[in-house]
Amino acid sequence: MITPFRSARLRSVNRPALLALTGAGLFLASLDAYVVVTALLPMLTSVHIAVNRPEQATPIITGFLLGYLAVMPIAGGLSDRFGRIRVFAACLALFAFGSFLTATAPSLSQLVTGRLLQGAGGGALVPAVLALAADLYPAGDRSPVLGAVSALQEIGSVLGPLWGGLITASSFGWTWIFWLNIPVAALLVWALWPEIRSRADAHQPAKLDWLGALLATAGLALLTLALYAANPEQSPVGESFFWQAPLAVVCFALFVWHERRTSHPLINVRRFRDSSFSGSALTNAIAGAGLMVALVYIPVLANAVFSMNASGAALLLFRLMLGIPIGALLGGWLAQRLRSYRLVAALGLVLAAIGFVMLSGWNEGSLKPHLLGLPLTVADGELFLTGLGLGIEIAPVSAALLDAVGEAERGAGASFLIIMRLVGMLVGFSLVAGFGLWEFHRATAHLLPPLPGLNPNFATQFAIYSLKVRQAIFDEYHLIFRATAVALLVGALTAAATLRPLPRPRWQ
Amino acid sequence: MHAGASLPRIVAAGLAVMIGVTACGTSPPDGASLLKQSSQRMLQLKGFHFQMQISGFTGSGEPVQSAQGDAHPPELHAKVNLKEGGILLEVEVIFQAGNVYLKSFTGGWQQLTADQIAQVFDARTLFDPQTGLFAVMRDTASPTSAGIEKVNGHDTYPVGGMVQASRVHQLLTLIRDQGSYRATYWIESTGGNLWRARLSGNLFDASQVATIIFDFSNHDHAVSVSPPPLG
Repeated sequence: MITPFRSARLRSVNRPALLALTGAGLFLASLDAYVVVTALLPMLTSVHIAVNRPEQATPIITGFLLGYLAVMPIAGGLSDRFGRIRVFAACLALFAFGSFLTATAPSLSQLVTGRLLQGAGGGALVPAVLALAADLYPAGDRSPVLGAVSALQEIGSVLGPLWGGLITASSFGWTWIFWLNIPVAALLVWALWPEIRSRADAHQPAKLDWLGALLATAGLALLTLALYAANPEQSPVGESFFWQAPLAVVCFALFVWHERRTSHPLINVRRFRDSSFSGSALTNAIAGAGLMVALVYIPVLANAVFSMNASGAALLLFRLMLGIPIGALLGGWLAQRLRSYRLVAALGLVLAAIGFVMLSGWNEGSLKPHLLGLPLTVADGELFLTGLGLGIEIAPVSAALLDAVGEAERGAGASFLIIMRLVGMLVGFSLVAGFGLWEFHRATAHLLPPLPGLNPNFATQFAIYSLKVRQAIFDEYHLIFRATAVALLVGALTAAATLRPLPRPRWQ
Repeated sequence: MHAGASLPRIVAAGLAVMIGVTACGTSPPDGASLLKQSSQRMLQLKGFHFQMQISGFTGSGEPVQSAQGDAHPPELHAKVNLKEGGILLEVEVIFQAGNVYLKSFTGGWQQLTADQIAQVFDARTLFDPQTGLFAVMRDTASPTSAGIEKVNGHDTYPVGGMVQASRVHQLLTLIRDQGSYRATYWIESTGGNLWRARLSGNLFDASQVATIIFDFSNHDHAVSVSPPPLG
């Protein structure tokens, strides 16, 4: 995947400037990863989709993740072949084109296509920029730079929902989230133009495992389709689940079979025999699913039952997002201090699970300030705790997986970490979205709305009906949050049972 | 010699025939007869699928924003998007044997009274044989037809004209009953199927241009609407 090489010419250029420009592109794309979660309602309205058909919003979110996942495995190899900066510029252009399609979408199909292309362009930037950073800096100096690039991506994704919420709530409207990407991308490509024209950083092509990438993408796409509940009133999964899900399993089996035989595999599947590797991969995916549930359902809950606008929903979610980087730093420090990945990872996931259990107790009064007379609520603390827990597990789980793959496959291991997190997000969200809405329809199947006309008690009946609907929405979210808490506890147990302890520092 | 001298004439004659044929081919039939033929055709169908999209509505209340479904007028089964406070809500309606049924945000089907359906959206008026869209076609003034245009992959003649606001108001009571509006119909060149109709003008607000577009498909596919289970 990421195959760093030494490039004397690239090291002769202004390295900080090159890294800053490409990093800015990466930041731009990562902002858009979850930007839609606070803009979903107006986005749906503008493509004429009713608010009571929220299942149609699912592909807007899964489309981006699928595009991101489809290109991640091959983007590093493409940048080996065509040059980091050329691939970076091409992918940024694809991202900008996807943004254009999204902003101008008259229909849901164009909106989803735009998001898919945004994801594909944005996803490819990650390995291209990481590999460029590895080219620009020698092995001894590389770590902090790679860390800074990864941090930039994380910060972007954390700020995305806030950014999206603020623009959506402004007089500009949601389309400007995407319009703004175009001039910024154009400016970055213009600034990088001399480097783009030069082919000096292109190398002897590395062998790309196209078949492996195709099988993995086909499997994921089929699984996403199988889990997509287009009609949640009837079924919590897709109508074609019974042939799409087995076909997805066949694709994954063929992928594993192929990866074991090919000379340049995308991932060394034999690593899965190592329980620390497979355990950290699974834990990472579960944590990704937990994060996605929080990212999507807290803003939706804010809109649907607390009647918040996009910026209010974004600020509510920000309390959780704030906990993530703080938790990430704390998790890294604690793992080092306690010399245990399993303990710290399990601690983080248990805290996040407790957070979700607390969120599942929310009611109409949960957001009213009543904490020691301060403008704070208990809910703020619960959100922060959930984010903190999700942050704490990042460092020990990532480090356990990278330790398991060893020095030689560290680049591939880092990409695999991102991929597993996204797979968790994609699969977890697809499952939760379908089952959540199915449960809502099941609970309200006999709740008939009062009709106006000559009904003298209409106002009272409607108020009672509205209360019942809100309670059904709360019940749906309580179920989703509790199910997520259970999944996170499974993740905690997996981490506790499988992660190896920290290796002894070499100087001892 | 003879053959050589006749070649330019043959080419010229051939060109003249081609130009003549082409000219005949591009000349669309008379707009009024196209409208009459299409109106009759649409009223005789065993059923069709329709989509209606309103854009440019600025008023308040709970107006219909779009609708799509299958119809064999006056029977009809449609999903309707209603706009309330900037938010779209989807409801499902069935008009069958003079009865009206509604499936709203939650719960199953309920039967509506006449005044209740008036507050939601009486979709029957859209295709009423006397006052609906196909009747409005016949009453379109100064119709002019143009060259062939493709609509959903079908060759159609666009026919444009003006319709009295009072006629269109009967179609959809949201529309202002003042002046006249521009109407365009895309009628299939063979058979007279109507594929698209567009009404435009200051339909809802004197200072705001708005449009209503109807798209039709599945012409003459039998549509049978049955009463839904209540509750």
